[in-house]
Amino acid sequence: MFRCKRSAEDFAEEIQAHIELEAEELEREGLSREDARWKAKQKFGSKRAAQERFYMHGRWIEMDRFRRDLKHGFRSLLQSPGFTVTAILMLALGMGANTAVFSVMNAVLLQLLPVDDPARVVYLRTTNPPHGTGTIDTTQTFSYPVYEALHKQTGGMSAVIAYVPLSGNKVAVRYGAEPQEAEGDMVSGAFFSALGVRLQRGRGFTEQDEVDHTSVAVISNEYWTRRFARNPEVLSSTLYVNGIGFTITGIAAAGFEGLEAGKSTDFWIPLQNRPELNAWGNPLEDGKGYTANPTWWCMRLVGRLSPGVTKAQAAAQLQPVFQAAAYVGLGSPAPNEQKPTLSFVDAKGFPGYAAQYGRPLRLLMGMVVLVLLIALTNVVMLLMARNASREREFSMKLALGAGRGDLLRQLLTESLLLVVAGGAVAWVFAVVATKALGSWAQIESSLTPDGTVLRFTVAVLALTTILFGLAPLRMALAAAPSLALKTSAAASATDTGKSRMGRIIVALQMTFCVVLLVGAGLLLRTLRNLENTPLGMKVDGLVVFGVSPHVESLSQGREFYRELIGKLRTLPGVESVTVMEERLGSWSSDNSDMMVDGRLPEVANGGSRTVRSNVVGPGFFTALGVPVLAGRDFTDSDNATSPHVGIINEEFARRFLPNQNPLGHTIGTEDGMYQMTVVGVVKNHKYRSIDEEPIPMAWYMYAQIPIIGRMDVEMRVQGQPLAILPSARKAVQQLDPNLPLIRPMTQRAQYDTTISNQTLFARLAGSFGLLAVVLVATGLYGTLAYRVNRRTAEIGIRMAMGAGRSQVVWMILRDSLALTAVGVGLGLPVAVLLGRALSSSLYGVKPLDATSFLLAVFGVAAVALAASVVPARRAASIEPLTALRTE
Amino acid sequence: MSTRDSNDERIALLQGTLDLLILKSLVFGSCHGQGIARSIQRQSEDVFLVEHGSLYVALQRLEDRKWIRAKWGVSENNRKARFYSLTEKGREQLVEKTGEWRRLTRAVGLILDASHPEPEEA
Repeated sequence: MFRCKRSAEDFAEEIQAHIELEAEELEREGLSREDARWKAKQKFGSKRAAQERFYMHGRWIEMDRFRRDLKHGFRSLLQSPGFTVTAILMLALGMGANTAVFSVMNAVLLQLLPVDDPARVVYLRTTNPPHGTGTIDTTQTFSYPVYEALHKQTGGMSAVIAYVPLSGNKVAVRYGAEPQEAEGDMVSGAFFSALGVRLQRGRGFTEQDEVDHTSVAVISNEYWTRRFARNPEVLSSTLYVNGIGFTITGIAAAGFEGLEAGKSTDFWIPLQNRPELNAWGNPLEDGKGYTANPTWWCMRLVGRLSPGVTKAQAAAQLQPVFQAAAYVGLGSPAPNEQKPTLSFVDAKGFPGYAAQYGRPLRLLMGMVVLVLLIALTNVVMLLMARNASREREFSMKLALGAGRGDLLRQLLTESLLLVVAGGAVAWVFAVVATKALGSWAQIESSLTPDGTVLRFTVAVLALTTILFGLAPLRMALAAAPSLALKTSAAASATDTGKSRMGRIIVALQMTFCVVLLVGAGLLLRTLRNLENTPLGMKVDGLVVFGVSPHVESLSQGREFYRELIGKLRTLPGVESVTVMEERLGSWSSDNSDMMVDGRLPEVANGGSRTVRSNVVGPGFFTALGVPVLAGRDFTDSDNATSPHVGIINEEFARRFLPNQNPLGHTIGTEDGMYQMTVVGVVKNHKYRSIDEEPIPMAWYMYAQIPIIGRMDVEMRVQGQPLAILPSARKAVQQLDPNLPLIRPMTQRAQYDTTISNQTLFARLAGSFGLLAVVLVATGLYGTLAYRVNRRTAEIGIRMAMGAGRSQVVWMILRDSLALTAVGVGLGLPVAVLLGRALSSSLYGVKPLDATSFLLAVFGVAAVALAASVVPARRAASIEPLTALRTE
Repeated sequence: MSTRDSNDERIALLQGTLDLLILKSLVFGSCHGQGIARSIQRQSEDVFLVEHGSLYVALQRLEDRKWIRAKWGVSENNRKARFYSLTEKGREQLVEKTGEWRRLTRAVGLILDASHPEPEEA
């Protein structure tokens, strides 16, 4: 049907040839030349009819018409480029922003894990760990005995598998000669088979691999692509992890990026029990790694429910096994101790993300809906305005004999063109915005805009556009052509119903705009507060990086750090150097109960006894710039042979040593194995994150405690902090050429990562606010300009009757100010509700923050005025005579 | 296919017949539209009148179906004309259509020639 046909010219030529051939033949048969020609023509009949039949033949007439409609639609849209561009942009912003935010939200909240039958995969949770244990996360991590017991059971769960990171962030790896860092997990032998993750190449692990702690590794598709350029030869080559060689035996299926929240795991190895590969990169505790230490709850567990078993049934069945295993190596629970209870949660989405991003994302979704509504109403107003002014065009067309069907098709085509163009721009916008959002949210996994969402949004907008695009048809058809032809602008400008509708829409837009601006204001002020929160230290000039040395013995480890600190101190531009076990501002912390003067401190009405502790090097507080309120900082002379010393913060002293001089008191671990004398009290400062409240803290000296391993180095330098890194790297590699600097960055940047969530949220809200303002401004401007245009004749008459220019300007402005007042009046109560809903996301700002509300109101008023001024001035500059002559 | 009302002895072509006649007239070599019209008229001893508009629509249709192919060429008396010739597919169609036509005419003939209608059963 759509095949390229012969041209009409070619056909005409053929007919001409036919007639001439016929004439010649007739002539030969004895007719005169003239007669022969005449006869041939007559015999052929109507040339035009033949040509027409040729044209119609085999052609899909509807398609042909559609092509013509399309052409007509293009021309008609090009005639009003302002309208076309605005409408397309509105549609694109509405559809694109919606798709982008929804795609990210979808990835975070709704998408199931890329595993087999994910509905049956659950994460294991506990209410609390038993007393006397240390955890990574109080509800999400378990001890090795618990894992072993649950792993062995059969019944409710078809499998329970463990995964344990090799490091809190990245682990040192080497492939070939170059040391690098990567994210790696130790996992159960049944990890891939139980989850149902396929391997695209090679093999996964077996139960035997776990039992034998085999040195094999599986790498992720992403790591294979990024690090090895998809070279198939990496299989059976060796990857060194913390100096231990692992043979790469498999590559996981694309799309599986591990179970770590928001991180992309690069490689997996079977559970190990070597000292170099302890869980979380921690040093051995009393010579015991995670497999031998029942008091360290550090393993994350995932399970697969047996078919037909619910989460509650499985949990009930496993509860006794779990509670027995929980106290392995701990003795029997204290009489009043609440036993830990096992539960399961669905493994939907990226682990932990729902909690962290779920609420903000839902609120963002609400904002997107508002923006979408504004965009939608704008498009509707634009279409109505444009089509209202085309009533005469339609009447004219009807009068000239166009069918109703023709008009319908024309309007449909125009709307369709708008939607298609808008959709195309929206897609580009969505791709860019999704990427930006994903990187803002620090989701390292690959994100793409969600096709389903885009199709849904497009469908909604297309439907609206088409419905409103057809609205003028009804009006045009209702009026008899002859009547409509007579209609003039002056006469048709007084359609009160229509203008009231427009006014309601504008007022509603103002309402949405106020709400969005209040939300954006509150969140941006939160962000500013967070950024300006005093950290309790001089953070500028500090640079931090991790080192993970090969530690063979306690003394060798201590010697390594002593030498490293010494070397780094001599580098030019370095003011001070110290080390710490937990990096500041990285969300990680070591929490436990501590003895004070030989017993657990009394706390009033069941308050928390938890103390956050860290292991640090000499001159720690001096290097950070944290004021020492009493006593002293750690020094180089606090070493293995000198008395054990510790430092606490104000909060510790206030909570556990109230109304006394804390110096000289003894504090120590809950099990009483390690005791130290308090030699200093420091001012409270931010430790894990920017928005935390002070909690009791205690610091150990690294050179005195019986374990040592991975540490972070903190340096205070002059000038640009990161400029020191090359010489620092050289110093580290003089001690061990295999050591990379792990996650080097300024301490400021490290702290900023703790508010990245709020930063993202505030920035997005800010951009939505801005978007709303722009949309409302263009919408208002468009509506007002259109109305002034329609009232040209009326204004002309008013001015001819003696109205002054200022009166005309005021008439127009008054109109939009009234709309603004209504919109703001409606918007404020809604904004109050929004503020309440946001209150948990605010920091240092009240939900009813006057500044944010005032700014929003003024913002909307300013937009309304700005959008009104141009049309008002145009109205005022109308020449009465010209105006009257219009039409 | 339209036919021309005429009260002379010429017979309007049956639907589909023209296609068959065109194919048949191309069996012995390529020919242009006018030649085809003439040859049909002549071979039918002037019984069939080929309406030219219909002829060209039919030629176009056959060309679209790839039963015939067309090429501009020069006629015996040096005139430029579009020459049609049969394709392989066209030849097959001709055989098939001829068979169909024979069966049809035979059946019609049988009915028309039957002088003794079958006795109805009592």
